[in-house]
Amino acid sequence: MIQRIQVLASYFLRRLVGSVSGALYLLFTLGYWLVLFNPQQLTPDTDYFILVAGLFGPIAAFLITLTFSNWANQAINYPFLVRLPSRVEYLTALFISALVTTMTLQLILAILAIVFHGPDLSIFQFLEIPPLWLAPTVLAITLAMHATDLVSSGWSRVYIFGLLALFLFGQNISNEGLIRGLNGLSRYASNQGWFSAVNTVSSWTNSLANSPANLFTRITNALFWPFDAIARAILNGNFTGTQALAPAILMLYATILFILAADLFVNKDLILTEA
Amino acid sequence: MQMECILIEIQNVSKSFYTFKAIDGVSLKIPMGEVVGILGPNGAGKSTLFKLISGLLKPDDGDILATNGRIWPKIGYKPDRLLLPNHLRIGQYLKTIARLSNVPEQVVQQTTFDSLVKVDLVNAADKKIRDCSKGMRQRIGLAQALIGNPPLLLLDEPSNGLDPTGQSDMNRRVQELHAEGKTIIISSHQLHEITKTCTQLVILKNGRIHYEKSMSDALSTSSHTIIETDKIVEGALATQILSLHDDVQFDGLSVILRNEAMSLRRQIITMLLMGNYDVVHVVENKRSLAEIYAEVVA
Repeated sequence: MIQRIQVLASYFLRRLVGSVSGALYLLFTLGYWLVLFNPQQLTPDTDYFILVAGLFGPIAAFLITLTFSNWANQAINYPFLVRLPSRVEYLTALFISALVTTMTLQLILAILAIVFHGPDLSIFQFLEIPPLWLAPTVLAITLAMHATDLVSSGWSRVYIFGLLALFLFGQNISNEGLIRGLNGLSRYASNQGWFSAVNTVSSWTNSLANSPANLFTRITNALFWPFDAIARAILNGNFTGTQALAPAILMLYATILFILAADLFVNKDLILTEA
Repeated sequence: MQMECILIEIQNVSKSFYTFKAIDGVSLKIPMGEVVGILGPNGAGKSTLFKLISGLLKPDDGDILATNGRIWPKIGYKPDRLLLPNHLRIGQYLKTIARLSNVPEQVVQQTTFDSLVKVDLVNAADKKIRDCSKGMRQRIGLAQALIGNPPLLLLDEPSNGLDPTGQSDMNRRVQELHAEGKTIIISSHQLHEITKTCTQLVILKNGRIHYEKSMSDALSTSSHTIIETDKIVEGALATQILSLHDDVQFDGLSVILRNEAMSLRRQIITMLLMGNYDVVHVVENKRSLAEIYAEVVA
């Protein structure tokens, strides 16, 4: 199985090397470096370096996965697919190809950003980088798979990206302003000695605080907590015990998305494009 | 047909794409070591059937089983379109297929070489696929299907786009593979190719099997019998003979019997002899594949 995955991954990578897409991704990396780590400017802060170079990973990974998936979805690959005992091997090879390409480009970016007026990183800061950069990249690859014709089946991508949009939107649904207003009203009533009014306003405040909208916001905030935790930890320069779990949670999300992608891919009809 | 000779059994398989029923309740047994020719007009469901057997498509209904509890046989599949990875060289492509087919690394080179020999492409191993002609691409398609020595070959229109020499070469190769004991399912629009290479015949139309016979049985069926007399049959005897069956016709000196009327041959000859006509010639014409196909597809 490992050999077959290696063979397929090198097949996809070989196609990228020397292709127009490969050159474009290299140009994208250089452009990213020139714009966000301009060598003419002063040395960037360490947290800026880790965050901005880290952000390159998910962006590039998403685009690269779309490219590889497009190639993997071509009818020239029917003879390969027929030979595989499990279609999951094909998807794994695609994942590895996208990861290797992204990490190579990210490494080029990081080296350029360090060599030309880069920050001085301590050994501990260096050791923090791999999990910080790897987890969001892996998540972006598995998410991008669901956006492609290769993996999506029926309405699957509408459901997945619809749910993602709902979660992103859900973070901003909040009635905290109203709750704060009611709390102020409650304090005013209390100062005035209107105790029955205080009770009524307090019960409204409790109802609002426990309303489904607030519950949904709390759930979505919890789902997106790892991103927030990573960003805060980098900006603070150190991780708390809880924040250190954030990359692992992102990997868990990626695992769930990959299992879902594999399930969709294994059970779908493979009607590949004949362009 | 004995059960132990069946490699794959297709049981009442159906496949639809939205509202279009590409395969409709097809049941078929693929005997081991036979060459099964699948004929049918465009859109009959031939390529869909190949993709179902190869596992690329999942049946909506029914099953495709390896019989006698055998594990699913390795399959070499040549799709109908000449789509190949143009960025690779022929040798690189075949080595990739070999490695995916669990061919041990130390024999990958030899396996690739052997398959190139079988399709006469040894000298072109280093050629980029994008520079290959249509004929070469068909041969590459066949070569990749042969890698790893799979017992079942699915060849979807292997002669498509080939010149007469290329078609003849492809037929020879299929016959050689049959002689090696491979089970082959082949589809084609070239009827002479099917006639030459196949031992079983299946004709699909609108996703259903409309004809299924061994090739020898199919081609041994008579299409019509001609009884030639010394003079034109006229009068009461002619009327009497014509009244025997709707498929009896007169054409000059000949009495032509088609379909079920052929069973009346002996009776009609007797009647002619009794009526003082000499029967000078009796010819039984076998049906060609073209006639069978036209009859089934019409």
